[in-house]
Formats: sequence, C-alpha cells, structure tokens
Amino acid sequence: MTSRVKEKSWLHYYLRSTSGVIGAILVFLMVLLSLIAAFKLYPHDPVLQDIENTLKGPSGKYWFGTDQFGRDIFSRCLDGMRRSMIVSIFSVAIATVVGVTLGILGGYFGRWFDSVVVRMSDVIFAFPAILLALAIVNSLGNSWIDTSLAIAVVYTPIFIRVARGPVLSTKEMDYVKSARILGFSSPRILVSHILPNVLAPIVVQIALSLSWAILTESGLSFLGLGTQPPNASLGLMVSDAQALAAFAWWTLAFPSLFITIAVVGLNLVGDGLRDSLDPARRNS
Amino acid sequence: MSLDLAGATKRYKIRATGTEINALNGISLSLPEGKTLGIVGESGCGKSTLARLIVGLEKPTEGSILWRGQEIADKSHDAFRTRLSKTQLVFQDPYSSLNPRQRIGECIAEVIRVHKLRPDNEISARVEELLTVVGIAPDLQHRYPHQLSGGQRQRVSVARALAAEPDLLVLDEPVSALDVSVRADVMNLLVDLREKFGLTYLFISHDLSMIRHISDLIAVMYLGKIVEYGTWQEVLENPKHPYTRALIEAMPDHTVIGRGNIAKPLTGEVPDPANMPTGCAFHLRCPISQPICSQRIPDLMKLSNSHSVACPEVI
Amino acid sequence: MSLLSIKNLSVETAYDSRVLVNNVSFEIEKGEAVGVVGESGSGKTLSALSILGLLPRGVQISSGSILYNGKDLVTCDSETLRSIRGREISMIYQDPMTALNPVMKLGDQLREVIDSHQSNNSDINQMIFDAFKEVGIPDPERAFHSYPHEFSGGMRQRVMIAMALILSPELLIADEPTTALDVTIQQQILALVLEERRKRNMSMLWITHDLGVVANLVDKVIVMYAGRIVEIGSVERIFNAPQHPYTAGLLASLPKASDKNRTRLASIPGVPPKPWLVGDSCAFAPRCSRAIEQCKYTKPELANAGGTSSACFNRVGA
Repeated sequence: MTSRVKEKSWLHYYLRSTSGVIGAILVFLMVLLSLIAAFKLYPHDPVLQDIENTLKGPSGKYWFGTDQFGRDIFSRCLDGMRRSMIVSIFSVAIATVVGVTLGILGGYFGRWFDSVVVRMSDVIFAFPAILLALAIVNSLGNSWIDTSLAIAVVYTPIFIRVARGPVLSTKEMDYVKSARILGFSSPRILVSHILPNVLAPIVVQIALSLSWAILTESGLSFLGLGTQPPNASLGLMVSDAQALAAFAWWTLAFPSLFITIAVVGLNLVGDGLRDSLDPARRNS
Repeated sequence: MSLDLAGATKRYKIRATGTEINALNGISLSLPEGKTLGIVGESGCGKSTLARLIVGLEKPTEGSILWRGQEIADKSHDAFRTRLSKTQLVFQDPYSSLNPRQRIGECIAEVIRVHKLRPDNEISARVEELLTVVGIAPDLQHRYPHQLSGGQRQRVSVARALAAEPDLLVLDEPVSALDVSVRADVMNLLVDLREKFGLTYLFISHDLSMIRHISDLIAVMYLGKIVEYGTWQEVLENPKHPYTRALIEAMPDHTVIGRGNIAKPLTGEVPDPANMPTGCAFHLRCPISQPICSQRIPDLMKLSNSHSVACPEVI
Repeated sequence: MSLLSIKNLSVETAYDSRVLVNNVSFEIEKGEAVGVVGESGSGKTLSALSILGLLPRGVQISSGSILYNGKDLVTCDSETLRSIRGREISMIYQDPMTALNPVMKLGDQLREVIDSHQSNNSDINQMIFDAFKEVGIPDPERAFHSYPHEFSGGMRQRVMIAMALILSPELLIADEPTTALDVTIQQQILALVLEERRKRNMSMLWITHDLGVVANLVDKVIVMYAGRIVEIGSVERIFNAPQHPYTAGLLASLPKASDKNRTRLASIPGVPPKPWLVGDSCAFAPRCSRAIEQCKYTKPELANAGGTSSACFNRVGA
C-alpha cells in the first residue's frame, strides 16, 4: 500500500551493465594474478635463467613459452603485472589525494589560492606526460617509489581539473547557496553538499588513470627507466620482445595481452561507475 | 516589528571593464511583520539582488537592512548564523535547489540537526510533520529529488526552509518554473502556511497576476530602484507610474479575448546597467517623458500614507 | 482544402516505442492562427517539430500523415522537405541564442537562408536590410555585421523573426518564442508578429503554455494533455465555455485581475501522467473532479458538441 521505495544501491545499477561486469571480472582477474605473484606462487622463478630452454614456444611446462634467457614468460607476466599494479595504485593514490584536495579547495574558496593551484597545474600540463615522467625518474632514481612519484606528479593536475571544474559549477547551484543561507559551515557544505556531487567524475578518473598509469609504467620500463632487469615488468618484456617477435611471437603476445586486459578492464569499470553513480543517469 | 531597508545599495564591479554597476540603488522600505510584500519587475531590475541581501548571502555596499531592529549583515559569525535561520529563501528552480545526492528527508533533517532545533530522538517525527505540512506524504522521505515532480520538489524546498523556523521567507519566483496546472496548488499552500505560521513573505515575481493574488504591499522595481510602492489595490487598481501602467498593460490576460488586438507596447528595451541613461532611468522608454526627465533623478514621493511613486510628472 | 492538415499523427521513442504524441489530428486554414496549449510533456512541441521533420534524435513518427497543400510531409523525400522548410513553412524558437550560429555574422546567416532557396538574387543585401528594418531593428547596417551575442534577447528574437519571414512563408510555427523574454519585450514581439501576420495573411501555429498569450493572439485553440488533444475550438468558445474539465480547471486555476477578494485558487490536484503510461482510460481522470466510472476504462475520443470538439464523457456545462 505505502509506496516506501527502498532505494537500490549503486551496485545494483552497476551490475545491470554488461560491460561494467566484464570490466569488473577482468580487474578481478588482474588482482588475482598479482596476488599469485605476491605470494610467489608462480610455477617458475621469474628471474631464473635456463640456457637449455631459451625461446621455447608455449608448452605444458612453459605455458606462455620462454624468453631469450630461458625464463618462464607466464611467471614473468604475473610478476610484471604485480609490479605494474603496485606502481599504478600507489601513483594514482597520491595523485588523487593531492589533486582532489587542491582542486576542491581551490574551486570552493577561489581567490589567490585557486590561481596558484591552476597556474601550477598548467605548468605541469605544458610538458608532454612521458617527457616529464622521464625527467623526474632521471633525477629521482629507478626504484618503484621513484617511478610512482613521477607518475603521480604527471597525473596530479588531471585530478585537480577533474575536481575543480565540477566544484565551480556545483558551488553556483541553488542547493549550495541554500545551504549557506541555512547557516551551514564551510566544511559541512564541502563534505555533504559538494563532495558527493563531484565524486562520480573523480571515481571514474581514478579507474581511467589506473589504466593509463599501467601504460605509463610500461612506457618508462620500455625506455629503460622503470623496472630494471632482470626484474620483470610488462613494459620491459614488450621492449625486449621487439627483436624476437618475428620468430618467437609468444614473447610479445602474452605481455601485450596482459597490458590490454588491465587497460580494457579498468576502462570498462570506469564507464560502468560513471553510469551507476549518478542517480539521475540510472533510469535511462 | 518589521523589515526595514534604508538606502540599501549594492554595487558590483565588472572586472573586464573596471566599471561599476548599481544592481540596487538606494532601496528604502518598511515591511510590517506578518505582511506580504510583492516585488515585481523585469530582468535587471534588482529583485534577485534584493533577495540575496535580505537573506544575507551578500552584504549591501551601502545602507542598512534591519530585521526586528537587528542588522542582517552582522559581522559576528554566531549572530550571523542564528539570524540566518530567521530569514530563508525559496528558489525559483526546484531542479537545482535540492542536493541531487541527498534523500529529501535527510535534507530537512540536516537543518534541524545542525541548528540543534530538536533533540535527536524527535528529528524524524519533525521531518514527517514538516513534510505533511507542505502536502508531501511522509513515506516519500526516502526518495531522491529526481524521483519527485517539480511541484513536489518545490514543496520540499519550502519544508526545508520551514525547518529552520524562519519568520521571514523570501520567495524568489517560486511558481514560475512549475507547470501551469500545479501552480495554483503551490500558491494555495503558500497562502495557508502564511496564515498558519504567521510568516512574513517577500514574494518576488515577474508575473503580476501571482503578485496580485498574494501581496499586501507591492513594490514595482526598474533598474535597481523602486518606482512605485503601495498597497496592492493602490498599485494595481490605481497605478501612477508610467512603467507600472505599462507592466499591467503588457501582462497577458486570459479573460480578454483579443483576436490579435493587443495594447501598444512600450518601446525600446531596458538599458544596460553599466551604461545608464542620465536622469530618470525610464525616460528613454517613457510615453510621458519630458525634457527635464533626462536631467532629474526622481525620488520616491508620497501620494498618500501608503502609496508613493517616483515620477514628478504624475503627482 | 486546408493549408496544413495533420491526420492521426503519433510520435514515439525509437528505442522503446514509448508513445509521446497519440493520434493527433487538426487543420490550419490559410491565414488562420492556431494556438497549441499544453504543459511540459503534453506533446505540443513534438507535434510542431513533426511538421518540419525536425524531431530530435531517438524520436520518430510512428503513424499518421501531415498534408501541406496536399503533399504528405511524412513520406516525401528529404529534398522536397528541405525546399519547403524556411521558404513555405518556417519556425521561430524559444531560445534565439541556440537557434542562431554564434560565430557567423547575422547578415550572413540571413543570406544563407536566401541562397539555399533562390538562385538569382539581384540584391540580397537590400533584401536583408529591409527584413531587419521590418522587424524593428534600429540600425540594419550595423546589425548586418554583428554577431548574435552583441544583441539582447529581444533583439535576437527579432533577428530570428526576420530570418523566418524573409522568404514570405505561408505558415509560421512559433515554439514559445516569448517565454524567455520580459513581459514588455514579449508584448513587443507579439505585436510585431501580429502585424506581420496581418500584412502577409500568413497562417500561424503558436505553441505555448501561457493561456494569456493565446487568448490575445489566435483564432483557434488546441488543448493538449499527456500526448493527446483534449479540446479544440474557437478561442472564444475555449475561454468562455470550456468543455473539457482540464481546460476548465486550468482556466479556473489562474488568478483573475477582476477578483477583488482574491479568493482561493481552484487547483487541480496531482501532476500530468507520462503519455505512454496511460492505458485504456482518460489520462486526466485521476485528477478530474468530474470523472465517472466510464472514464477509468474507456479512452474518450474527440467529439463535436456545439462547435467545440472535446474528448470527455462528462463535459463541463453538458
């Protein structure tokens, strides 16, 4: 009789989207593979060389074959995935916290603080991403933390923009003005009236940035600046496989496939989140 | 006890040109508590600026705004907050005046909680009471704004304003964005609430028929100034200022079938506030304009105890 | 023969076949001004957009015909439709800012209209100056070289009207062109359109939610509710003796300038339904004070009674 509507959570709407579910499965797979690597449950030691078995094709023993040093590509893919995940999560986490905080505060309070934030991010934006990352890694060092910091610096302005833009428009909405008239404090207005309304693009940006960060890390390793041999990284493996791919396709195919899975999976999750987080968008 | 404005002026600086515009130019009026003041005028007349000043969203550049003898733009923060809850604003657009991520019950409860207007265990009963008062079934409190119609959202906006237990409610075009068939319902609600809670209203609209329906007093505004002020009968049935007359003429009237016969319109457009004409701001469009009107800025002059007009030519 | 004759027009969403306009039929005679009144979602704008084949993406005509001078605009090829648009039937919109190209000079925008319909134009510029002068733009020479943003809302609407009238169309469709304007400017625009109509003996279809505008402007009124026509009749009959409870209720809900006591407004409870959710019943029945048993399970059809057609089983004043 009563029309007491039990409002469904965003998860309900997320699960209705096929591509979102596929994305989630791919991401889950990635996490699982990384965990396998983290607990060293891979079939072979990823850095162990075996001169007897160089460049063997996929087989029962070496599922993805071996590389020019006889290392197991499957195990190296798992370990490379783990490294990529760590770097991308760590870098995006830093970029999110720093970028979103600066963006929201700049957008809401405006004035000189906002100008400084915007100028800063413009300066960083002015450099091509990979060049900037290269420069930072060069000056910091080659550890995974240095790589992560470099990627974080490159991505922070993106988060500043993603947070600041919606804050600027939300700030002008009548419901924010009305919260001010109702005498709510600035922290309350920021947390309960502005943040929830700018969260969706941020969450989506996190998912997308995670996938870009994987690519950037691969790119840096490809250029010899990220992960250092003999450790495995997906980018490094692709780089090494360049010369070999013509006669040993598996050396290129499987690391590339892993990168693709990670990037596609995170992108699909990003799209799914965008559609399910917005109450007004769910019905369409 | 009343709302008293004395020479309230609001100037904005245009950054690009460095010039200043007068959004509100020396408004003086006194609205007794419990009465409804209708403010009518076209875009750029300053009616929305006036609303923002009265609820304390902005401070006047000059002049004072007193509610019950207390300055509205008080600098001390605590006084500011308690005073804020006494004057509330209902916005025109029910689609942007509610937080889309907040269930409507929570948006009302938040007001009560922040200002500690009720003990925690009485909040939900109070929310249901307020929703009932504005004609919303209490079991809709778990809905999000987008699940409600425009009329329902506007009722929720009113309920939230009431949650702060205000004495003065500023209604900025509260029915203009609503469908024609639900406007009457919301207007009736506003009239009922005024009686029930003894509220003072500042009703802002471009729609003279709504202004006429609800106001005790009417102020007609043009380019930041009041050009005519009086009881609703005085202003609408015995309009003096040529602009008031033109507004009444221009108002489409459904009780007169025209078959294409409409009154001769006012010529020209509202001047750019950044480039105001000298003298009377209306003289370029005025049908009874005299040469002297371009030199003399007319003051609001009393015709009777309650009726005043800013045009020496009609006195 | 009527200038425009719409027969059993239905419009639906392409994706899930939701009915937005349901079986709408009406005629516009040469020189006649017709007003379509309805609230948001009543289908008034979609009906008008159908005429020029300008329905938004995802919305399509599902059945019916639109005969203009005997030609069916629903089935004709796009070239025929294009030749009719702008020259024989033209349109003005609510928001002239989005209807005018912001990066093109106004003179060039009018020239484009002429160029796309006529090949030999000896003096286009003169034609455009005349058009600007006609609609009351103070300095046509300057307007010719201006961009839309340099004009006020009222002036932009005048430019739109100049553009719509420059090829002397037979029918002007106006989709709430004065809703966004101030009342004194609205009155100017109404006066302008009326004068042009009288001069050219042009037919007009005026879409609005404002009963006051329609009362002063048109000869015939069509009232739409939830995608259907509920009442159609001469402006006098609709306003003085409305038959459909919706029309009557709407008129009663407006404050009247003659009401000295400011009596409580007669309100209509509830909100309009979505057209596609109305089953075999009268869409207005849930809000109607005159609803009878029959209204709940039969859909009333338009029927003529005393010069007015209305879709109601229990007419007001019957």
